[in-house]
Formats: sequence, structure tokens, C-alpha cells
Amino acid sequence: MGKTEKAITMLHDMECSASATTLHPVCLTLVTFIYLATMLSVPAESLSMLLWFAIYPILMAPATGLDFNRIFIKSLVAVPFALMIGVFNPVFQTEPVFSIGNLVVSRGWITFLSILVRCLLSVQALLILVGNGGFIGMCHSLSAIGLPDILITQLMMVYRYLTILLAESLDMSRARKARGYGRSHMDIRMWGDFCGQLFMRTVDRAQNIHRAMLARGFTGRMPRYDCRNRRWRLPDYLTLSVCVTAFIAMRIFNLSSIFTRIF
Amino acid sequence: MCATTDPPHNRKDNSKDMHMSDALLSAPVAIAADVAAATLLAVASTRLKKESDSGLIPLMGVAGAFIFAAQMLNFSIPGTGSSGHIIGGVLLAALLGPWAGFLTLASVIIIQCLVFADGGLMALGCNLINMGAITTLVAYPMIFRPLLKFPAPAWKIMAVSVLACVVGLEGGALMVTFETALSGITALPTGDFLLLMTAIHLAIGICEGIATGVVLIFVGKSAPSLLNREQAHKLSGRKIRNIVIGFAAAALLFAGILAFFASSDPDGLEWSIMKLTGTPDLPATDTGSIAQGAAAVQTATSVMPDYGNSFSGIAGVCMVIILVWGLSGFLLKLRKSRQTA
Amino acid sequence: MSHHYIKFDNVHFSYSNGYEALKGISFLITHGEKVALLGLNGAGKSTVLLHTNGLLLPTSGEVNIGGIPVTKKTASAVRRAVGMLFQNPDDQLFMPTVEEDVAFGPLNMGLEKDEVRRRVAEAMERAGVAGLEKRAPFQLSGGQKKSVALATILSMEPDILVMDEPTSQLDLVARRRVVDVIASFSHTCLIATHDLDLARDLCPRSILIADGRVTADGPTSDIIPLFISQYS
Repeated sequence: MGKTEKAITMLHDMECSASATTLHPVCLTLVTFIYLATMLSVPAESLSMLLWFAIYPILMAPATGLDFNRIFIKSLVAVPFALMIGVFNPVFQTEPVFSIGNLVVSRGWITFLSILVRCLLSVQALLILVGNGGFIGMCHSLSAIGLPDILITQLMMVYRYLTILLAESLDMSRARKARGYGRSHMDIRMWGDFCGQLFMRTVDRAQNIHRAMLARGFTGRMPRYDCRNRRWRLPDYLTLSVCVTAFIAMRIFNLSSIFTRIF
Repeated sequence: MCATTDPPHNRKDNSKDMHMSDALLSAPVAIAADVAAATLLAVASTRLKKESDSGLIPLMGVAGAFIFAAQMLNFSIPGTGSSGHIIGGVLLAALLGPWAGFLTLASVIIIQCLVFADGGLMALGCNLINMGAITTLVAYPMIFRPLLKFPAPAWKIMAVSVLACVVGLEGGALMVTFETALSGITALPTGDFLLLMTAIHLAIGICEGIATGVVLIFVGKSAPSLLNREQAHKLSGRKIRNIVIGFAAAALLFAGILAFFASSDPDGLEWSIMKLTGTPDLPATDTGSIAQGAAAVQTATSVMPDYGNSFSGIAGVCMVIILVWGLSGFLLKLRKSRQTA
Repeated sequence: MSHHYIKFDNVHFSYSNGYEALKGISFLITHGEKVALLGLNGAGKSTVLLHTNGLLLPTSGEVNIGGIPVTKKTASAVRRAVGMLFQNPDDQLFMPTVEEDVAFGPLNMGLEKDEVRRRVAEAMERAGVAGLEKRAPFQLSGGQKKSVALATILSMEPDILVMDEPTSQLDLVARRRVVDVIASFSHTCLIATHDLDLARDLCPRSILIADGRVTADGPTSDIIPLFISQYS
């Protein structure tokens, strides 16, 4: 049951560690999307161009009050996945690219490293985005960008009841284990009964919530009460323009050619 | 579900199963899928806004949390010694209806992405389509719904669930392969990848189907009115057609955006399509652009100068990164001290 | 609504599965009265409460709130007048932050933004949870959750307060605080509870129900001994 417990801890951790951002959340969301779009459009062969994009999380994290080292460590979760997929590239792409002494680096190793870097950078950018204002802040900015109301409500509700349902299922499975037969996993029939019961409780709960909503004048539309209505300030415009210019510059000009020329 | 990427003995976290990752996607494919998925979400939202039943909002909310909790619970797969978990697309569609099921599963996938960093932000569109839309908006209305009317005998619920889930998951696997091949980031030969994915997802689909079946049988026995809830909204042939048209529109949009990118970068798409149609027994043509591959082999000394991949270039950037990294701790301290001052 | 009374007139109610929960309930609670609703589990207390603001409508008979008969049409007007505290605060706090939850009712009433803000601040002050605005519900203790749930109702400034087990699962301190808030409320109150001390402290009058019928109605000091003797 480690997974459920881990998920609960992560959820708590997330709201508690959300930094009080100084940037407008919509600004940061836009920057993140443009960052990802430009970064992912770098060809896999072009590792030296891609590496320049590593500077964004390193600078943006402290600029928004987050510790980059922690973000880096958290982003390592994505590594196994990148390894599993990327490991085939050196096998199939064997053309040499350059050599360091006797060591010949093939195209496959370059693209493999590219996959790894893309993985780390995209997770880091995401962690910085969500680390600012937390999940709820994220929902508010998605709503400001124009995502449908029902979807935002849905996200907030799932997030709200996630901890409760995870805790409920944990209680139920502990009760099962207490009477258990030493097996760590349920067989499928038992699992089906378990989930069926969980679903029926879900429906009961949904009915109670619906009544509580109706009792407070709910008519089918969720009202929005954005308590953090903050205007765009100079730093927001500045960040957006500087970042976008930098990303596009890094994408168009390969800045590494400077080093090639120097050495 | 049994992971495609993790070895079977890795029990740590196998929820990454079908999640596409940013790392494997090229920008055009990711953006096209994002736009297509956003369209589907918008259609689902307008559909659901018309529902007179305001109780659907809290039900979808809690059901999303329910499916999340259910995904965390592993069941043992008989005879293999391994375990799996449910994704829940067909289950949600059967309990809530296709559009509500899609939106509910979509919210779960979005939260997995934002809170647990599964997949990636740009890959979200792909994940919403592969795991959400294919099961709830294709497999459910086209297979599950026409074949099954509740109340039904247990064997029939089970058979239809397995069929719908296999179709749904195979469809998703097909999409994963398609998107990966089109992006051309990994050098895995498309044919082999496709074979691997469809084989694995046949097994996963059967597990998912059995899991879906047992839950539906339980609910059908203990609270049959919950299953009729969805069927009370008549899903006529016309409605199924609407769903399919909506989905087809999203697919066209996806293709259209790709075509737009392709016209600005003809080599890229040509390369991808060659990759896609390339047969697995011709790995040479399969793994890369013929032109580039040939050029690379011919002039092994001056390979791909346009990518600027030289040792000095890469080493130079790495030095800059390390330098900036060293600065970042200092920057954070500076910011914090200014805030407290 | 100048007179905030609750009147049940021979109310019958059956659930859709055929279970008859109320078998002819009649009582009148007049303006400003605080009344405890006592009874065992399954006696029909919660069902009675759900009738006071039209969440359930009687199969036969009539519920009348301050002169308005409760029907499907009048339900939304009645809900403005009757604030209802549910038993499980987790079901009542469905918004992501405390502040948004307390604002939910006033926003649904279509009030101006400034008025909403004023009401949120005032309700949180009265419920003793000022300062928790930005918290998520899962960061609250059980007592805080209950108090916040109370604030979500107070922000609607209801004329009548209906509560289901306001003190269940609370520790001594949290219970004391909730009791104080209820005591400070000058309007009509109907409280379903198992907490006999609460009934004794707050409610001069009690109604005892069993098996969907009113079995006794009178001063709390008379009803409680009767209730205890009946079931021991």
C-alpha cells in the first residue's frame, strides 16, 4: 500500500511547500509553455543547442523563491523512463560524431543524452510552474487562460476529495489486511468488491455534497471567487519578454558555436 | 497496469505505463495533440453544461478521486506473480456516460501530470487522447454501449468489458506508437515498437477488462440503479454518431496542425513518415533520414556540422550551466534576505 | 419573512426504494426558539432536517417556513432563509480553500463583490476561524472544519439555522467553541443531536421522534429523562 501513502504525503507536501510567488501565475504559465515548445522543438541531434535551455530552470527557480537543488533532485524521477526509452538510440544510431581522445561518440549517444536532458528539463519547468502557487494557483491561472469552467471545477473537486478518498481506501485496505491472509495483493474478485464498495461510498458522498451545495443556493454553475486578483506588473512583462526573447534566440542561433570558435 | 517501460520486478511505481513523456515528443506533434485534446475538452464541457442534472458536477468530482484511489490499488494477476492496476476509462464511461467519463478521466490525468509529474505538460494532449478519449469516446460508445444493456448476466458484462477495454487500450497503444514515430526522437524501429506495444497492451487490455467487469458486476448486484443512471440518458445511434464526429474532428485538427508544421519543415515530416512506413527488416532506412544517414556515413569526418555537436561546444555549455548552477544558490539566498529585510 | 417559524403539518415521506421514513410528523417551532431534535439512529432526524429547505419534499403533508410552503418552486427562496449545517464537514467543504467555500453561498445569492468580501470576513470572525482563509480543508483539524462549515452558513446570514449533529466527533475545546457560536445566534434553531448536554445547555425545548413519528414534545428537562428511561 506504499503507493497510496506516498500519494497522500506528496499531496500534503505540495500545498505546504508552495511558494508565495512574486510573478503573476498567468505570466509564469505562458513562459513555461513557450519554454517547453521551443525546447522540445530542438532536434534530438542538437545536444549543444538543447543544453542552453538548462539555464532557464536554474535561474527561474531562485527568481521565484524555489531551491533549484531540490527541484533537480525531484526531477530525477523521470530518469528511469528516459533511460528505458533512450537506451535504444546508441544501438541503432552508430555513426560517429566526434571523438575525445580514443573515445568515439556516436550519434546514438548524442540523441540518448538529448532524451535524458529533455526529460529532466521538462519536469523541472513543470515543477517550477506548480511550485509557484501550488495546484490551486495553477487552476486559477488555467481558468484565466480560458479553460472551460466545468473542467476547472472538476480539477478542484478531484483535488479536494483526493486525500479523503485515498485515506478512505487506505483505511479499507488496512481493515482487509488486518483480517488478511498474508497476501500483499488482492485477487481480482476481492479487488472488484473493494472498488465496487468504494464507488458506492463515492456516490453517497457525492449526493451529500450535492445537497450541501443546493442548500447554499447552487444552481448548476460554480461561482468563481478569485481572492488573488493581482494585476500584471512591470516585472511580469519584463520576465515574459526577456524569457521569450532568450528562448527564441537559443532556438535560432546555436550559441555553442562561440566555444567551437574559441577552442 | 503492467508497465511497458519498467522491468516487471520493479515494484516502485508502475503507473507510468502508457504515459507519453515530453522527452519523446517533437514540438509539432505535442502541440497538435494539445490543441486536439483541448478541443475535445471544450466539446465535453459544453455537452455537460447542457445537462439539467446539477448533481453530475459533484459526482464527477468525487468519481475522479475514486478512480485515482482505485488506480493506486494493485490486484494480483493470476498465474504470473505480477500485479496490475486499472486505468478506468471504460469503467468511468459506463458509470457516468462517455463525455462525463472523459472529463473525469481527463482531470485525473491532468492532476497526475501537475502533482505527480507523470508524463509532461506538453505531452498532456497525447496522454488525454491515448488514455482518455480512445477509451471513453471510442471504445465505450462504439463497442460497450451497443452490445450491453443493463441488467445483464455476469458473463456478458465480463465479455463486453474485456472486448471494449482491449479495443480501447490497443487503440491507445497504436496512438502512442504513432506519436512516437511521428516525433522521431527515439531511434526504436517503428515496426518493432508497434509489435511490442500491441502485444503488451493486449495483455493489459484483458486485465483492465476483467477489472472493469468485476466492478460493474458488483455494482450491478448491490446498486443496479447506479448503472441505469447512465443508460437513462438514451444513447441513441445519433448520439453515438455525434461523439464519433466530435472525435473525428479532433483527429482532423491534429492532422491539420501537423500538416501546417510539415509545410514549414518538409524534411521533418517526410522523415517521420518514412520512419512510420519503414519495415522493421530494413533498420537502416528505418532509423533515420536516408539522406542524412547516407551523408553521415560518407563523410564520417565532418558529420552534421549544422548541429554544432563538437566536444568543445558541448563542454562549453556544460561549463556555463555549472557556473550558473553555482550562482543559483546564492541568488536564492539573496532573494530570501531581501524579503525578510 | 418577519416570522421565522418552522411548521410541519402531517408530513409523510418515503424514499424511492419504498422505505417510509416519516409517518406523519407535525410540530411548530416559533420565531427565536431553539429546539433539539432527539431520537435514535434511523428515527428520521436527518430526513426531517432535509425537509426544512426543500432538499427532500414531503410525499404528503406540508412544510411551511415563515409563511412559505416548501415546494420545488419555492425551494430556492427557502434555502436563502434556512442555513443548514451537515453532519460531515468534509461533505460541506467542497471548495479548494476555506475562503472560497465561505464565499460560495453569498456568490450564489448574486451579491456584489464587496458585500461578499464583507460577509466572508464577518462570518469567519463569528465562527472563530479568522486567519484560516487561505488554508485547504485538509490542512484543518476536525474542530476547525466544523467551525468553517458553520462560517459557510453564517455568511449567507440565514434567518433560521438547522444543524445535524453539530458537536459529533469534536474534542472538548472545539465543542465548547461551536456551542458558544450557536448560543450567540439569536434566531430560530433546530438541532438534531445525540449530545444530550448540548440539548440541555442550548435548547429549552426538545422534540423526540421514533420510527418516523413525534413521540414527545416539550421542555428539554422533561424530555431527556423520558428519552433515557425509554431506552434503558
